[in-house]
Amino acid sequence: MSEAILDVKNLTVAYEGGGRSSRALNDISFRIERGKVLGIVGESGSGKSTAAMAVLGLLPGGAKPSGQVLFKGQDIYAKSPEERRALRGREISIVFQDPFTSLNPSIQVGRQIAEPLILHKGMEEKAALQEAENLLREVGITDPARTAKAYPHQLSGGMKQRALIATALACDPELMILDEPTTALDVTIEAQILDLLEALRVKRNLSMMFISHNLGVIARLADEVCVLYAGDVVEYGPKETVLGPGHRHPYTKGLLASLPKLTDRRDRLFPIPGRLPDLSQTIPGCIFEARCPFACKGCGQPQPLQAVGADHVSRCWRSLELADVPWRADDAEGGVAAHSTREHQPGGEMLLEARDVVKRFTVVSGLPALKFDASGGGFPLRYEPVSLRAVDRVTLSIRQGETVGLVGESGCGKSTFGRCLIRLIEPQGGEVLLRGEDILSASPGRHRALMQEAQIIFQNPDSSLNPRKTVREILARPIRLFGIAEGAEVDRKVDELLDMVRLSPRYASRYPHQMSGGEKQRVGIARALASKPKFIVCDEAVSALDVSVQASILNLLADLRDELNVAYLFISHDLSVISHIADRICVMYRGGIVELGPTERILQPPYHPYTEALLSAVPFIEKGARQRERIRLAGSVTGSTEQIVGCRFQDRCPRKLGGICETVTPPARSSAEGHEILCHIPLEELSGYESVLEPLERRA
Amino acid sequence: MALPSMASAPRRRPLPASLVWGAGIFAFVLFIAVAGPFLAPFDYDQMNILKRMQAPSAVHWFGTDEFGRDVFSRVLYGARLSIAMGIGATMISLAIGVPLGLIAGYYRGWPEEAIMRGVDVLISIPPIMLGLLILAVTTPSVWKSALAVGVIYVPIMVRLTRSVCLEVMGEEFVEAAKARGERGWYILFSEILPNAWPPIIVETALRVTFAIMLGAALSFLGLGVQPPASDWGLMIAEARPFIHQAPWIAVAPGIALVITVIAINLLGDGLREILDPRMKRDRL
Amino acid sequence: MFGYLLQRLLYIFVIVAVMSVLIFWITQIMPGNVAYMILGDFAGMDQILALEQKLGLHDPIHVQYWRWAQGLLQFDLGDSLIMERPIAPILFDAIGNSAILALSSIGLVALVGIWLGVYSAIHHGKAGDHIVSLATYVTLAVPEFFWCVLLIILFVGYLGWFPATGYTSLSEGFFVWAQHLILPVVALVMGLMAHVSRLTRSSMLEVMHSQYVLAARAKGVPEGLVIRRHALRNALLPTITVLAIDVGVLMGGIVVVETIFSYPGLGRLLIFAIQQMDVPLIQACLIVVTIVYAVANLLADILYTFLNPRIRYGSSVNG
Repeated sequence: MSEAILDVKNLTVAYEGGGRSSRALNDISFRIERGKVLGIVGESGSGKSTAAMAVLGLLPGGAKPSGQVLFKGQDIYAKSPEERRALRGREISIVFQDPFTSLNPSIQVGRQIAEPLILHKGMEEKAALQEAENLLREVGITDPARTAKAYPHQLSGGMKQRALIATALACDPELMILDEPTTALDVTIEAQILDLLEALRVKRNLSMMFISHNLGVIARLADEVCVLYAGDVVEYGPKETVLGPGHRHPYTKGLLASLPKLTDRRDRLFPIPGRLPDLSQTIPGCIFEARCPFACKGCGQPQPLQAVGADHVSRCWRSLELADVPWRADDAEGGVAAHSTREHQPGGEMLLEARDVVKRFTVVSGLPALKFDASGGGFPLRYEPVSLRAVDRVTLSIRQGETVGLVGESGCGKSTFGRCLIRLIEPQGGEVLLRGEDILSASPGRHRALMQEAQIIFQNPDSSLNPRKTVREILARPIRLFGIAEGAEVDRKVDELLDMVRLSPRYASRYPHQMSGGEKQRVGIARALASKPKFIVCDEAVSALDVSVQASILNLLADLRDELNVAYLFISHDLSVISHIADRICVMYRGGIVELGPTERILQPPYHPYTEALLSAVPFIEKGARQRERIRLAGSVTGSTEQIVGCRFQDRCPRKLGGICETVTPPARSSAEGHEILCHIPLEELSGYESVLEPLERRA
Repeated sequence: MALPSMASAPRRRPLPASLVWGAGIFAFVLFIAVAGPFLAPFDYDQMNILKRMQAPSAVHWFGTDEFGRDVFSRVLYGARLSIAMGIGATMISLAIGVPLGLIAGYYRGWPEEAIMRGVDVLISIPPIMLGLLILAVTTPSVWKSALAVGVIYVPIMVRLTRSVCLEVMGEEFVEAAKARGERGWYILFSEILPNAWPPIIVETALRVTFAIMLGAALSFLGLGVQPPASDWGLMIAEARPFIHQAPWIAVAPGIALVITVIAINLLGDGLREILDPRMKRDRL
Repeated sequence: MFGYLLQRLLYIFVIVAVMSVLIFWITQIMPGNVAYMILGDFAGMDQILALEQKLGLHDPIHVQYWRWAQGLLQFDLGDSLIMERPIAPILFDAIGNSAILALSSIGLVALVGIWLGVYSAIHHGKAGDHIVSLATYVTLAVPEFFWCVLLIILFVGYLGWFPATGYTSLSEGFFVWAQHLILPVVALVMGLMAHVSRLTRSSMLEVMHSQYVLAARAKGVPEGLVIRRHALRNALLPTITVLAIDVGVLMGGIVVVETIFSYPGLGRLLIFAIQQMDVPLIQACLIVVTIVYAVANLLADILYTFLNPRIRYGSSVNG
């Protein structure tokens, strides 16, 4: 065994507060060897961030750690606080999840990077600032001098995260902790950052503790993987084993089964039922027992970690016995298990047609739009209001029972477009026909009637339900409003709706705060269904949920679609989720569609260079899936304030042809019925690109 | 984050001590304000030259003033006008400010522009000046100083209501209501207002204390309550020439005022704790 | 940034203009006959009418306003009816005296208030924090005029350290001058200091829990430096806004305190003018107060801009 940089032994952390004690970490042990990367994976509440803080010696006031954290053989908790501080930033450094709040807003970026150099290495300020620029160059910033003098608000999210990585690298630390470093970023930026970390790791022989909820991200970088559940290590071993077919613990099985995958488009996912146990209570037996489909008599005993292979441990006594049994769990959550038996058949009558929808937002107006400019001669004051073209002449049609996925990076206008379709946002131009009738020009009365048929499901379960109303009140309102039922009938309808979203009728009397995220999302879905709509916009409807919950909501949405023959516009930044549920995919960039077609066609060449880049940015865990060629986009999306001339994507396109892309609007090239690519590159050439994914198996 | 505090609002927890104490003392002061004349051992303007400026004793708990009137009785009487002025002024600012704030927040566009620009002008008047301006040109009286103080706090109520309204409007459940084609008044009263009132109530408590103090200051300057009626501010003003010989005449009503204000502050803090823990205190 | 400052400047101009109309309009409907006040009790009706004619009191109100506003722009504030002297010099003396009070108070409020707030934030939950919090809680509930009364009872009557009222100019010696200043300033600052300290405490606590302060600690920055370099500057931003608002509260306090201590400043002049129904003097005092308050707000804006790079430098530049 080679030298361990970090050796955590029996670390337990409990938070005390309000007379209660709640365990965040329960007797966990792991080690990181020099030059290796340990991936720590877990859903919210698993204690993974507490582990990072414990290693740094920065646990908040109410936290009580016990056990040992050996850094290069010495227990950091045996050291004085001053010695621990001297360790931080010099030998152990960290990159946090949210680059938007981790930089001090009132200090220049260069100075923030230089700070540890001055503190720990005693460098002169000038030399330290110079070194900061070198570090910025090393983390791939093209104009380090200018960036160093910038304030954080002037940088994009990706650049901020690079600056934070530069800060963490400054003193050439022995151990770098990365706490969800890409979670707040777009998938293309995430790919850039992961590439950077991979390169740095090799170049500097860095040891890393990499924390993430995203199995794909962990799979990219980790050598070993430690799976945390409710503060316990449930499985720990080499990456290939734990994230591959060799995984043994039921929770790991569940996590992998809940994940929608680009290469394996099964009809159903297999989520983990139930929710995290209450960590202020002592759980006598297996911590996962309550949610485990394999639970049986022996699970009431405390589960020790047991060896299940070379360097591979699992906290389940049935690990070996269940080795080849796949995860199959019902997705009923506190209610009735039901499963649609109807086959999904998209493509009925035309339901909704959007033509040339345009939405501009005024960004700068009034006095701030007055620009002082004496250079140009003439009167030095000019009025220059700025408006952002969020949606720029988008045309899309959706058939009955069809699911159209809308994908793109943040800021591409996908949510705005979705809201325009149901007139939650009033577009400036175009028309939206619902069964041939224009929603946008409808009279107020007619508009209300049309709203019955077109509904929306939101992203954030905490925000989508009125906290002052019970579930019954929330669901009864649309039932009464649209005259679907009256009197006592309303209550029966509410129960019916709850049943539809697999919640038991006792949920009717609950307030939103008495439910979990997944349950709230189900109520949100029920509310959208209450008016019996034929079209629903799902705006990032599963993005805020943990993987296991996300899977059950995706299953529910698919079932409802088949039962009720509703059409979805499914908006998401996550291509895996989109490709799992969508019949057709629409790829948006800077307010416009760049590619539109059946899901299978979108995932294979010929595709738009932007689609190609999105696909190759997705981090995969599946065995067999490989990204043959990594296409990386530089920079990030910028909103367009002017009329776009030429191709929308030309500013970042890795396959840009030249002048023609800047001046001529690209033609729609069609490879097959219903598949369009807006690109100047001829179809034959686009078809010739190597596929990012392995050829897909057809949907079962 | 979406209203996490409100989500946990209806949970049953022991009431905060500040709420219990604040509400208790304030209820007591309110009781005195209503029942003062019946509780007072003496009539508030019963003069007795022989008993001028007597120090506090068993008969005259807070001593007597320059006319031999019982200070304790006068403090009890004074509670009524002081509290009435504070609450009255705050009600005026609520009655004008909250609807304007809701309109500005919900309807946006030109109504918002008009309201907010008006608010900007009003807020640029230093608080006491508007009172002075109104009272300078007319004969002072209680309701006028309540009106003046109330108007001063209208802009603060408008700004607060509007910002809370905007915050709630960003929530997805309001969008859901719009997606159902709900009418404006329904969204305003059924979806927004129930979530907007906690910070407004907390602010109201804070405003009452400011209004009581400002009202007392105006009375003190002779621009509020007129003799022979009296509130705590005027009592202190009238006692001023004698503070060296008989400090209790000024100190007693002052302490009554301070205790009342502290009680309402405690009440406000307690309310904030159970209604809206996120809200910052010390907002003006 | 240019647009922003221009906007603020324009704004202040508009507000002063609107306020001048409001002040003029309200004071003009004031009961009390100007001509009568000038001429005294023994004037005949025809004399009064003639003087009113001469003063332009029969003109439409907007003509009168315009005449007044024009004078205002040329620093001609008219004559006081009671003192029968031009207002401008009287006013300038008063402003000077009040400025001494106001500036020393606001300086004290800023320094001590911020220090107390920061102190209790970094000693959060300890004895020092509890003492400061309790003291500010009580202090906040005491109005200025009661502070005055308490201070006079204690320091003038009981201890006899300070003179009760009045003002002496600096030329008569620093000690005597300061003696007359200390009690009014203390009475003015107590409540505001408590207010600023509570606000600074809460914004400091918020900043100390922010992600970037955690990030600074994770870099191994010593706690003292974390507070000074990383927390303080960001925590002071909301305090600046509140200081500007507190200037308004301070002006109210000045009126009360100057009246009680017979301090010859703007506040006492205003109350005097109101009691004497001296309309031109009231108008002049009120417009000065409005301008001072507007300028204080402008200064706060500029300071805020200076400390906040978000406004100082435009937003995102991608590289």
